[in-house]
Amino acid sequence: MIEVLRGIDFELHAGESVSVRGQSGSGKTTLLNVLAGLDRPDSGELWWNNEPAHLLSLGDLTARRGRFLGLVFQAYYLIPEIDALANVLMGARVVGPVGPTERERAASLLQRVGLAERASHLPAHLSGGERQRVALARALMNRPRVILADEPTGNLDEHTADDVIELLLQVCAEKGAALVLVTHNPAYAGRTGRQLVLHEGILA
Amino acid sequence: MSWPIYLALKQLFPSGRRLPFFTIISVVGVGLGVALMLVATSVMGGFGHQIRQMIIDTQGEVQVRARDSIRDLAGVEKALAGVPAVAAYAPYAQGVVMLDHDRRPGFPVIQGYDLARIGKVIPLERYLLCGSLDDLDDDAVILSSLLAQALGVGVGGKVSVYSPLMLERLKQNEVLLPRDVRVAGIFQIGHQQLDSSTVVCSLRLMQDLYGLGNTVHGYNVRIQPGANEDVVVAQLNAALPPDVRAQTWFESNADFQAVLSFERNMIFFLLTFIIVVAAFSITSSLLMSVVRKTREIGLLGALGGSTRQVAVCFCVQGLILGCAGTAAGLAFGFALLRYRDALVHLIASQTMGQEVFVKFYQFARLPAYTAPRDVVLIVVFSIIASTLAGLIPAWRAARLKPVEALRSE
Ligand SMILES: Nc1ncnc2c1ncn2[C@@H]1O[C@H](COP(=O)(O)OP(=O)(O)OP(=O)(O)O)[C@@H](O)[C@H]1O
Ligand SMILES: [Mg+2]
Repeated sequence: MIEVLRGIDFELHAGESVSVRGQSGSGKTTLLNVLAGLDRPDSGELWWNNEPAHLLSLGDLTARRGRFLGLVFQAYYLIPEIDALANVLMGARVVGPVGPTERERAASLLQRVGLAERASHLPAHLSGGERQRVALARALMNRPRVILADEPTGNLDEHTADDVIELLLQVCAEKGAALVLVTHNPAYAGRTGRQLVLHEGILA
Repeated sequence: MSWPIYLALKQLFPSGRRLPFFTIISVVGVGLGVALMLVATSVMGGFGHQIRQMIIDTQGEVQVRARDSIRDLAGVEKALAGVPAVAAYAPYAQGVVMLDHDRRPGFPVIQGYDLARIGKVIPLERYLLCGSLDDLDDDAVILSSLLAQALGVGVGGKVSVYSPLMLERLKQNEVLLPRDVRVAGIFQIGHQQLDSSTVVCSLRLMQDLYGLGNTVHGYNVRIQPGANEDVVVAQLNAALPPDVRAQTWFESNADFQAVLSFERNMIFFLLTFIIVVAAFSITSSLLMSVVRKTREIGLLGALGGSTRQVAVCFCVQGLILGCAGTAAGLAFGFALLRYRDALVHLIASQTMGQEVFVKFYQFARLPAYTAPRDVVLIVVFSIIASTLAGLIPAWRAARLKPVEALRSE
């Protein structure tokens, strides 16, 4: 049993952007998992939109997460059997039925991230940067209030990473989604409204 | 379409890509099992049908019998004539005799038929290999093929007939000499036992051999096409004298039918294991897919998918593989049945030569009869087995916690 996070008191305001830095193993991913309700803290409370998420049942928590949060991971996690557009739509599919409205929204999100003409391409035929942009569009599909991004540029070269961070910040601002960005790069951290550092489980 | 079904379909049949190897293997596995079951039960059913046809051809659909012998022929025939669904009937007497030709003995069952009437009930001439029915008089017999072979006698030859009556007379110090008769013809039914131990003669000869006088053992009855045997039997039993009973061919051969259906059920049961094995192959490939897709399963949870839906996604894959495999198997199985003669001849000519084959197996055409009930059973069984096969992988997938799944390498 190891204690990863200690005495975290973290509040995220609507539309705000926050960066979290820290050494490898400092607990950044664990923090995001706790915020996303994927990991339950041993003690403490988690409030989403003035709702006590820590009191919800696992099923309710999961369903609520799909609508309230958008997640972006370092390794994209696209589904390899379906094309880019279908991957974006998957965000909506998992939480409810999809109709023409959802399809249109997925297409316009793909356009927004600059991949309109790659809509029918499978993930295997996209570059890393393109895959991460598809994942970003998917995270935005259900109009989340918050985007949690865990080292979204970790697998990308410098130039592509700059583009993705740029897009991430812009789109979140446009869509009014708050952003928690975990990154190692001080330059990217500097572009968020608030900068935090996680050191030995303590957030400062 | 809910996402578990959507994703299940996409994982088995991805858009714009080749069919995954594992889909093909699973479908082929189930398909082969289903095809084999279909072919095996159909051929078994075909033999059953052929045997049924043979029994009906040699006995009529209905038999009327008394405890020992029927004396009141007029009364029985009046009852038979009174039922409109009865097409034809003819009296018979039967018993065991000893035949002897050149010191070679045989112990067949001898059937005595009223030659003037039997033709409408039993198509004897259809089974005649050589000789002629017209030559059959009260001093002649027709032998079954294997019996004739065993005795070493041909058409026109002579055989001596010894009956149990001779022994009875001997007890009273009377000596009755065996009856010497001509062989008027040789027949073959296509049934090993019947062909090795049956003799046909006139009713008169049989009555003489057994000392029956004018009594008979029973009547073979042919009913109108389309009439129900059980109904006819019920009507006959209402009209027949109390000591004389009618029975369907099925009841008369109940033991034999029981063996036949036991055999069929046994083969069906054993063949179900082929599908069980195919289902296990589905289980193992789906389990592999769960392991391979661990991080995607975690992602689905992170996106808001419930564990139940994740489980459904894998169960549905088993169901879809089962349905596709069953459909493919039915298509393949029916194709095999359709071209079975060509296939059998191909195999026979490659291995043993056509003539040997026909001689050995007694048939030139492989019989087949597909009972709709069997098809339904096969379909239901293979789909259920495949769906159950998806349960273990589904359970494994549902147990994955998104955090751990996403962390896995
Ligand atoms: N399931 C687990 N079981 C045990 N220890 C764990 C588990 N998950 C995380 N940890 C530990 O918790 C600590 C924090 O891990 P976490 O993944 O949050 O680090 P991180 O800051 O995201 O690191 P990185 O920058 O390398 O991604 C690490 O020491 C890790 O070994
Ligand atoms: Mg991490």
